[in-house]
Amino acid sequence: MDKMNIPIGPQHPLLKEPLRLNIEISGERVLGGILRLGYVHRGIEKLAQTRNYNQNVSLTERVCGICSHVHTTTFCRAVEALLGLELPERVHYIRALMCEMERIHSHLLWLGILAKHIGLEMVFMHTWHDRESILDVMEEMSGGRVAHAVNQIGGVRFDLDEDHGPMVDSTVKKLKVDYEELLDVIEHDTTLKARTQGVAPLSTDDMKRYCVVGPVARASGVDVDMRRDDPMPPYDKLDFQVITHPDGDAWSRTYVRLQEIRQSLHLCKQIIDDIPEGPISVRAPRKVPAGEVVMRSEAPRGELFYYLRSDGSDYPARLKIRTPTLPALGILPEQLSEIHIADIPVVLAGIDLCIACADR
Amino acid sequence: MNKLDVDALFNVLGGEIDQACIRQDSIQNEVVIEIPAEKLPEVSSILLDQFDLYHLSTITAEERTGDPDYLEVQYNFWKGSGLTLLIRLEKDSPVLRSLTGMIPGADFYEREVAEMFGVRFTHRAETPPLLLPDDWDGDPPMLQKEETK
Repeated sequence: MDKMNIPIGPQHPLLKEPLRLNIEISGERVLGGILRLGYVHRGIEKLAQTRNYNQNVSLTERVCGICSHVHTTTFCRAVEALLGLELPERVHYIRALMCEMERIHSHLLWLGILAKHIGLEMVFMHTWHDRESILDVMEEMSGGRVAHAVNQIGGVRFDLDEDHGPMVDSTVKKLKVDYEELLDVIEHDTTLKARTQGVAPLSTDDMKRYCVVGPVARASGVDVDMRRDDPMPPYDKLDFQVITHPDGDAWSRTYVRLQEIRQSLHLCKQIIDDIPEGPISVRAPRKVPAGEVVMRSEAPRGELFYYLRSDGSDYPARLKIRTPTLPALGILPEQLSEIHIADIPVVLAGIDLCIACADR
Repeated sequence: MNKLDVDALFNVLGGEIDQACIRQDSIQNEVVIEIPAEKLPEVSSILLDQFDLYHLSTITAEERTGDPDYLEVQYNFWKGSGLTLLIRLEKDSPVLRSLTGMIPGADFYEREVAEMFGVRFTHRAETPPLLLPDDWDGDPPMLQKEETK
């Protein structure tokens, strides 16, 4: 049968952010694809060299519109390491609480998009409804739904007041109930299983060769999570499981993310229960001593990498950001090979694309 | 997660690579080894085959103002903790052998370093633009000087 090329993007109803995918097909079978990024490249690494450290907190918050908080957390941790600052325990707990709520809303957003792509409108409605309740809490605590502006160098900008703990507690309780319903759908709904099980499976070796991180890798059996394996405080004091699955197909990616929501709810509850009293920031100088540091965090999509070099001024000499979406995109052409054309949306959704992150 | 045994790594590197590798403590949270560019495939092969150090977090390049004739390229690996291979390249002719043969995930990282810093990678297919426009004909953006500081 003749081969044909189908361009998808950079603007396409299937895509929530711009990228270009040239797909080669033969009949209903996809032979492969070529990916093109860069449509939302903002030159953030170069821009960072022209902003002082405090301005760069705001800049790094805008790398991603979904996991904005983990970017500022990682950047601030890098600067604080160069400054040699010892932060109050309470700061770590507030940062981790926001990180976990961010993970929950990111995974729920993703699950809703997957459900919409495969025609499960009710699951889409339910997940995005649940996501709203988490965003409401984050907005109540920080004042922002997308850019929370929680972090500053040396601590956080707001403290939890007496209402925040019960608010998180009641939201966690509500979401735990909703979570069981979602898990029932994921495990038993025949449509969802038919559209995801056995679709674009990738082995543990594939994931390792392509350096893929996060839930996508864990759904292929790669047992790595920065919160456990290279932890920032307070994760070394918290109890949680790293979820993996051996199958590596689209269903496994769904299952792993859903189980991670449960773990994050569990972590939120622990953080609220265990958070110590104390100050929420320490004074940080504007100029950062010369030095270099690498900082890694577990973003909702996996390992987030920051490299920072200071030359002793109040501007970074070099800031390198590698977001977890980038390696996941690297394996996308391999995933597209030999699938059915109707499975393209499931494969694209399955890796949880964040193009703004990848492009920076 | 079994962490990287740094001492064992240096024993192997010392035996097989001789004096070419220099241990540094220039980066916080990382073990840093400076190596000559021609040793990159050999050292990477040892990391993968003997130490199961398969995860390349990224490739970071930078230009140091105090050392204007050179580019530094870092290969940031991770296995329980970070390991950085550091290579200094002459800025006039920065050339590196590609690692995509043994680490396919290095593809995007090499393409980004190629377009942003003008490093040429051999032993691989061409490096098409990753982030820059197809018709970009200026200097590599990260080497351009800004006056806004």
